[in-house]
This record gives sequence, C-alpha cells and structure tokens, in this order.
Amino acid sequence: MLHSKLIKWGLTLALLFLSQAARSDVVVIVSAKSPIASLSADQVTRIFLGKSTAFPNHDPAYPIDQPQGAAVRDEFYEKVVHKDASQLAAYWAKIIFTGEGRPPKLVKGDKEVVRTISENPGAIGYIDSSALNHSVKAVLKP
Amino acid sequence: MQKKYCLALLLAMSAGTSAAKADQNAQDNADVSAVTDQTMFEFGSYGTLGATHASLNSADFALDAPMPYGAGRSNYLSTSDNSLIAAHVNATFTPDLTAIFQVISEYNSNGNYRPEVEWANVKYSLTPDLDIKVGRFALPTFLDSENHDVGYSFVWVHTPFELYQQMPITSVDGVNAAFHSTLGEAENTVKLIAGQNTTETSVGIVDSKNIRGIFDNLDYGQATFHLGYQQRSTSTQSEIAGLYPGWLEASDLSAGFSYDPGSWFFKSEWLQDRTQYKTNAMYASVGYRINQYTPYIMHSQSSAAAAYDSSLPYMNMAQKSNSVGVRWDFMKNLDLKLQYVNIKLGNNSTGYLVNIPDNVSLSGKTFHVISAVVDFVF
Repeated sequence: MLHSKLIKWGLTLALLFLSQAARSDVVVIVSAKSPIASLSADQVTRIFLGKSTAFPNHDPAYPIDQPQGAAVRDEFYEKVVHKDASQLAAYWAKIIFTGEGRPPKLVKGDKEVVRTISENPGAIGYIDSSALNHSVKAVLKP
Repeated sequence: MQKKYCLALLLAMSAGTSAAKADQNAQDNADVSAVTDQTMFEFGSYGTLGATHASLNSADFALDAPMPYGAGRSNYLSTSDNSLIAAHVNATFTPDLTAIFQVISEYNSNGNYRPEVEWANVKYSLTPDLDIKVGRFALPTFLDSENHDVGYSFVWVHTPFELYQQMPITSVDGVNAAFHSTLGEAENTVKLIAGQNTTETSVGIVDSKNIRGIFDNLDYGQATFHLGYQQRSTSTQSEIAGLYPGWLEASDLSAGFSYDPGSWFFKSEWLQDRTQYKTNAMYASVGYRINQYTPYIMHSQSSAAAAYDSSLPYMNMAQKSNSVGVRWDFMKNLDLKLQYVNIKLGNNSTGYLVNIPDNVSLSGKTFHVISAVVDFVF
C-alpha cells in the first residue's frame, strides 16, 4: 500500500518536473501557412530588433512581442537576442528617440499570439512550446 | 526656424491622414493591418540629472563646447554639466510615412536652459530598402551621434568628449537618404546627407553650409562597423576666423567598431578632422555586465592640432583621459552611473576647458572629474 502510494507520488513529481521543463521552453513561431521552415537565432534577432524588415526569402516580416514582465518575453530575449530587460530598453531608447523605428507590436498572452500569427502569414512571434497547435509552426527552438 | 518646422509637420500630418485613409481602403481585405497597426502618436521623454566635480580652480570643465561655465573654477559641484530633459513625439501616419519632433532643454551657450528643437523631420519609405528624411536630423559622424544626449541608451556617463567634441555639429537641416541592404548575414545601411547647420557656441555663432556626407553602418551578428566621410564650409566669428574671412573648408573621416555579445562589450572609434589644422582623436572602452551592474573602463585621447601652414595661430586642445565607472540599472527605465576620469592636458594645451583667466597656463596639467548621474526614459 505504502509502496504504491510512493510510486504515485514519484510519478506525480516526475510529471510536475516534466511539465515544468516544458513550460520553460520558448519557441519562435510563424503561421502554418508561411513558407518559412526554419530561422537562425541571428535572423530572428535582426527581425525583432528592427534591423531587418523581411524574412530571408524577402517576404515582409511583422514581429509580435509580448508585454514587458511576461516570463516568456524575458526568456526569448535572453536565449535568442542575448539581452536582458534593461539592455533591451536601452537599445530601444536609442532607436525611438532618433526616429529610426518603433518596437514590435504587442500582443498579450500565448493564446492570443498564436491566434494572431495563424491568421497572418507574415507575422512572427514567440510562445511557450506548450501553447503550440496545428495553426502555427515552430521555426526556432533555442 | 521653429515655425517653419511646425508648418512642415502640420502639412505632413494632413497629407498623412488622407494617405492613411486611402491606404486603409486599399488594404481592407489584407490581413497585415492586424499585425502592423500601431497608435498614430507616441509621446516619450528622456533626461539626465547629474552632479559633476572637477579638481580645478583655474578653469571650468564643460561637457559640451557651447557651455560657458562648468565644474571647477565657478562651481565646486556643477549640475549643469550633465543635466538635461527632452520631450519627443513619434508620429506614424502610415507604415511608410513617419515624423519625429523632439525638444531638448540643456545648459547652453547663453548660460540658460532655453528649450531647442533637437530633431524635426518627416521620413518617407519609398521602398522597404530606401527612405528619405527631410527636416532636422542627426549628423551620424559617430556610432552614438544620433543618441549622444540619451544617457540611458549607453553605458558611460557621457559619450567620450575627446572624440565627440571634435565635431561641434550634431544636426543637419536638409535631406537624408538611407539605403538598406542585406549582404548574406549582414545588414548594411548607407546614408547620404546634404544640408546646413547653425550652432551657437560661447565664442559666437558657427554657420556651416554645403554639408555633405556619406556614412555606412554594417551590422554583422553582434558586431557593428561604422565609416563616415563628410565635408562642409564653415564660418566662425572666433579670432581664428578673423584671420580667414569667408568660409573655411573642413572635412572629417570617422571610423567605429563595436562588439556586444550581451555579457560584455568592446567599443572603439577614431576621427580625423581636417581644416587648416589636422587633428586625430580616438577612444577604446570595455565593460562587463554582472546582473544589473556594468563596470567599464575607457581610454580616450585627442592629438595636438597640426597646422598645414606655419603662419597660423597656435591651436592646441590635446589631452588624454582614462576613465573608470559603473552603470547600475536599479529600476525599470532608470539607471544610476558613477564615473571617475583622470585627464592630462598636452603641452601648451587648454584641452576642452572654459572660463580660463588670461594669466593662467594649464600646460601639461593633470586633474580629475567625478560624476554621478541618473538617466531616465519614459
């Protein structure tokens, strides 16, 4: 009896750890309708920092950001762009106050990002891998 | 001057509104609007509050050339050297037509904080790879020319003055064409600039006409390369210009490199300025990021101005400086910076000091400057 209880606990804990691990995996996504199959971290960085306005195939790219403070946003910028929140704010201070550009459009929450991107073949965003569905595809798993 | 810009902005706004409507009709069934729509006007502000001490009692350390007084002889602690505030508006009429207007209040040549128009321009993207700016825009001589007043955007307390003060002109009233291209994994931007400038300094008004320049910026991974060449005709009311009535021809060659993989950075720039004199200036700086702290060191220097013609009056601003400092990102959109600079003037040089009494020689003097500033953006 005690034995099976322990196994149950062990399984629950293992599942928790697994889901926890899955939860902290950011993925970069485009619409399932997009011809883009994969992107490098450098290519994604250039699009999100406004240095490039197009995908490698020259189609226009529309980056979608999540709001400041979202865990998935911090993870994306740390793993892919290699900038923390204040480095990113310093970068955009330079761009905004010289009129060279504006930060990406904000969409709140993985679900809403998936919905927006699924409807727009030119859009690119990032979500937690647990929110992936058939309407979008992962082009970078950092 | 300012009225002209307001008028231009208003015209651009009305043109933009009608263009936006036409655009919307054309794209009613296109779905990209859902991912590009942003508010038309975005307001922002940035600024710096600081205190500076210089170990001088026979001159003032002034951060910008037009400042008449600074830290040292006039003030034990100066708040004018590092303090400024700016208001900014970004207007997006259509994805292709944008405008900016920025007013800045900082200590100026008249010894007050009267606000001035820093930028006022309309930008139109003819194609995704070509845009044209008309109005007042930055002269991109250096890597941080366009954001030299936005303290929050860089690690140091201020941009290295031995280099940045070689170029008294920071903005141009005219036309700026930018060409973007992708070269493999690199992004390249070439800017062509033409226009004029009027700058007030503590020794008089400096007019520059026929400013023309070509500037290249290449981003490759975490590295940035910058190259620039510019020419202009400059008229000054200073005693040097008195010897040369009319316009002086000036040209500048600048180069810069920066590498920033995130956890540390390296940055170095160089400039050669040619008028009747030839001056070289450079700096190199490294910093390391530890959580919210970024300690850094910098070496910066400018050479003695070598005259091409030996009959010219002697002019010497040579100096070398070594800095150590730290930036602390203690809150969202706020930073605190502390910096110590040791400056050694060259032989017979007065460096970039102001308010020097006639009977004082500063040749070869060594002094230090300590600054504490808070930068903000919102």
